[in-house]
Parts: sequence; C-alpha cells; structure tokens
Amino acid sequence: MRILVCVKQVCDSADTLSVNNAGAWVEHAPKSVFRINRFDEYAIEEGLRITERHSGSVLDIVSIGPQRVQAGIRRALGMGAHHGIHILKGEDTYVTPLERAFLISEAARSRHYDLVLTGVMAEDDMEGQVGGLTAAMLAYACATNVIYEETVPDRGEITVEREIEGGSRECITLKLPAVLTIQSGINIPRYPVLSHMLKSRTAALEQISAGMLGPSRPGQVIEKISPSPPAGIGELIEGSPYEKAEKLLEILHRHSLV
Amino acid sequence: MNRTVYVAALHEKGHFMQETFETISFAQELDKGKIVLLVLADEESVTTLSRQLFLETGLDTIGLKGNFLKGYSAEAYIKTLSSFFRDKEPACVCIPHTSQGADFAPQLSVALQACCITAVEAVGNGAFTRTMFGGKFKVEIRPTKQASVLTVLPGTWNPCSHGNIVQGELTITDVPDESVSTRTHGIRESSHKNAALSDSEVVVSAGRGVGKQENIRILRDLCSLFPKSALGSTRAVCDLGWLDYTHQIGVTGNKVSPRLYIACGISGAAQHVAGMKDSRLIIAVNTDIDASIFRVAHYGVVEDLARFIPLLIEAYIKRNRE
Repeated sequence: MRILVCVKQVCDSADTLSVNNAGAWVEHAPKSVFRINRFDEYAIEEGLRITERHSGSVLDIVSIGPQRVQAGIRRALGMGAHHGIHILKGEDTYVTPLERAFLISEAARSRHYDLVLTGVMAEDDMEGQVGGLTAAMLAYACATNVIYEETVPDRGEITVEREIEGGSRECITLKLPAVLTIQSGINIPRYPVLSHMLKSRTAALEQISAGMLGPSRPGQVIEKISPSPPAGIGELIEGSPYEKAEKLLEILHRHSLV
Repeated sequence: MNRTVYVAALHEKGHFMQETFETISFAQELDKGKIVLLVLADEESVTTLSRQLFLETGLDTIGLKGNFLKGYSAEAYIKTLSSFFRDKEPACVCIPHTSQGADFAPQLSVALQACCITAVEAVGNGAFTRTMFGGKFKVEIRPTKQASVLTVLPGTWNPCSHGNIVQGELTITDVPDESVSTRTHGIRESSHKNAALSDSEVVVSAGRGVGKQENIRILRDLCSLFPKSALGSTRAVCDLGWLDYTHQIGVTGNKVSPRLYIACGISGAAQHVAGMKDSRLIIAVNTDIDASIFRVAHYGVVEDLARFIPLLIEAYIKRNRE
C-alpha cells in the first residue's frame, strides 16, 4: 500500500491569537507554540497501523506552509512515517481549503497513492473540506468521519465505518484508491520514538514550492475576521473565588437546585 | 441565465430531517430568486417524499429518481447532482451541515467548479459567516466563483414555515443509471447511548480544560451533591481516554437537556454545544474569559476548576450545616 497522510500544523493555544493588521487573518503572538493538528495525529497513527498490517507499504507525509511546518513533518517521521513532503507556501496567511486540496492533489497525482488520509478537520479553521476536495480532484473515492477501517488490498477495497449523528456508524465499502478523513478516537496516536526522532532531525525532506504546482486559485476570500461577540444573555459572576462559590450556590438555590 | 438557489433536501428512513427545513429558511434569506428543492431517492420512495415536501413548503420540488439512490452514499449523490447540474448554472446549492451533507458537499463543489463554504451561521453583503478557532473568531467569507456550495449549521435558522400558497410545481425526473462502486451495508446503532445521562436532572461535564484525568474525581464529587445527576464530557476527554464514550455529549454523542448543566473546562465548540444547548440553566467554569462556552452559558465563572470546584463543594457543605 502506498499511503499519503496530509498533516497541518496549528497553533497550540488559541489565547495567543489576535486579528492581524490587515484584518484578514489571525496573528500569532511571538511566544506561540505550533504542533500537529490533533485530528491529523489520528490519521498518521491509522496510516502507520495499515503499513504495519501490509508489509512493503510506504507512508508519506505532506504538509503545506512556511518553513516552521517542517517540525510537524519531522515529528510524523519520528512516529514512523517514511518520507516527508513540504509544500512551501509563504507566510502565515489564510490558505483556503480549495488551495490546500489543489496543492496536495498536484503533489500526489504522479505518486499514485492507494490511500490518502487526513484528520476530519483542522483545529484552527475547522472547515473539514480538504479530504473531500482532494478526493474529487484526484477522482478518488472518499469517506469522511472514519472511525474504523479494514483494508483489503488484494481486492482493491477498503471497508469503513463512518461516525454519524449520535455516534451511530454507517458501514460502506469503497474501491481503492480512496481518501479517508479520520475521526478522533479511532486509535491512540503513538509518541515519536527517540531513535526515529534523531534520524528524522537530519532526514532530507522533499521541498516543493507551492508556485511550482500551479497558480493559486483560492475560490474564496476572507472579507473580515473579528473576535466573536462576548456573551449575550449570560452573566459573569465576580468576586474572590470563595465569593463566586457563594454567589453560585445562591443562584442554584433560587432555581431550587440545591 | 438560470441563477437558481437549490436546496438538497436530506432525508432518512422516509422522513426529512429538521435540518432540511432549516436550510430552506436559509435559502429564503439569501433572497437571490427562485428556490428549487431537490429530493434524491429510489423509485419506491421518491414520489411520496417529493410530494410531502412540496405540500409542506409550496416550493418548486424536483424528485431525482434513481435505483442506486436507495440509502445514502456520497458517490451516488455526487454523480446524480453533477449530472443534474450539467446544463444549469446554479447560484447556490444549500445543504444541511449534517454527517451526510458535510460528507458530499466539498466533493460536489469540485464537480460544479464552485466554491465551498461549510457550517454557515449568517449571511450578509454577499459574504457568509462561520466561526473558526473553536468559536473564538467570526469570519466573513466571500466566494470568488460564480457558484457556491454552502452547508448550513444545524440549529441556526428556524425551520421554514408551511407554505400556504403553492407557488411552485412538483416534478419527478429519472436519473440515468450511473455505475456506483460504493457498497453500503447499513447503519450500526451507537454504543455511546447512555440513558442515565439523558434522564439526569443535573449534568456536570468535563472538557479538555480539566487538565488531567485525576481532576475528573473533583467533578464526580460535585456531581454527587445532586440527586439524579450524571457525569458528561466533550469528545476530546473521551479521545484522551479520561472517560469512556458513553459520557460524550455532542453531535456524535448523547444529547441532553437537564435542568442544570455545569460545563467545566469546556471551550464550547459547536459540536459539543449542539448536544447541550437546550439545558435549562447552563453554568460554565473556565479559565479563558474568551471561551465560546460563555456565549451559551447563563452564568460564567472565570476560575481554574481544580481550585474553584472544591471551594464550591466546601461552601455547599457549610451552607447545609448552617
């Protein structure tokens, strides 16, 4: 099996974010820490499990963004991925799902992957589109919210369970090649192994400039980004911690709850 | 030029989902002109379903009939809709942001060379508003393509009112047979259902902000102050293995509407809020004053729960002694 896992690097803590000067995207505070999108960690782990079940498999990682995203790729190599592809794309601007999917599909097209995996969504923009868009661009089958998979490469098929409302599962069989978006909780992502991590520090990553893959076609632009308005109906309870506890009890009492 | 707004009317087990009617309201707010509802179904149910929707809304309804449309698959839906739109130039295709809608919308947008905006919460000035970063930021997105595929966040628009005046017409169209390689094997019911949780009068719920598994004990202690209470959690807490999935509240977990919901260390992502927003009294405890849970909470406490909840329990015991 040839597997590609699409990994996004996200800012670790949302409280260091503010709207940038242009009012077009967020700006990270200098102290911001970046890490792999949690949902993508489940995708990496599931990809690794498939490669372990089917000998001779290879697992590549692709990530889009500025130089810093290489840290995420190296961490994935530390977990056991074989090869990293970095699509170099400018600075910290909003890259639309359509652009991301375009870049991934162009980079993936000639490599003939059997499976492309990614998380159900990114924790930052939460759009949940890259999997579906990439599948359509590559003309691959696609299943989202995958919580269980069973690959049968000999038959060129994969059977999956998609998590739907209320935690029920829709069972389907797809023809390979396919794109799956992996739901959190499908597995427990492993920690990078030290020996892999050391190797990954010096591993040569393949770098492709986004411009080389084709002209940017964002499809949509951010007109405005602003902090969500503060609480509407709610009331913040003020005072010392103990006073807050007393006031809260009083409220519960008024509602006949204590 | 045909600049119609289309709505994909999603249905399940012979009924339209509530979200379908909400999405019709959304389409009406777009105010772009003609609205056409599309019902995809097999021969057996397409006429009944389409007629039902047509009579309820009075809007133009087209039933797309194909034998490969028995049950849902993204592939069948995309093939059907792509061939339907081949000779049309839709302004928008509006789809409920459910597990089905969110599954096929992005793929459909590629087939239609449209842009795709998911989980839309508001419209205005040619832009669509959605939230990002766990609800902390509101983002207005403007399409730069002719057509847009939009998924509409459930629970945001009221379901459309019944159309008293029938303006439209009802058509049933055969979809040419497509070869669909996806095989569907039906639905397996959830193993996350928890009657104790949905029947409780008080739910104390844990989010990632609980910090570590040991702190769950503090919430259990709080829970034990109330009769008929239960411990809930966000999906993240279950993914971390701190609680099992029967505690999960949200879109893919349990739905609760207790008399009191105490959200502890919960950021308030839409997926969680969907499972608890109907609670009668919502109290949120979180260290981050900007957490979006404070937007749904009736009362908020900005404190570290590991410190605050024990104080609350202590105050409760003291009060009962007096």
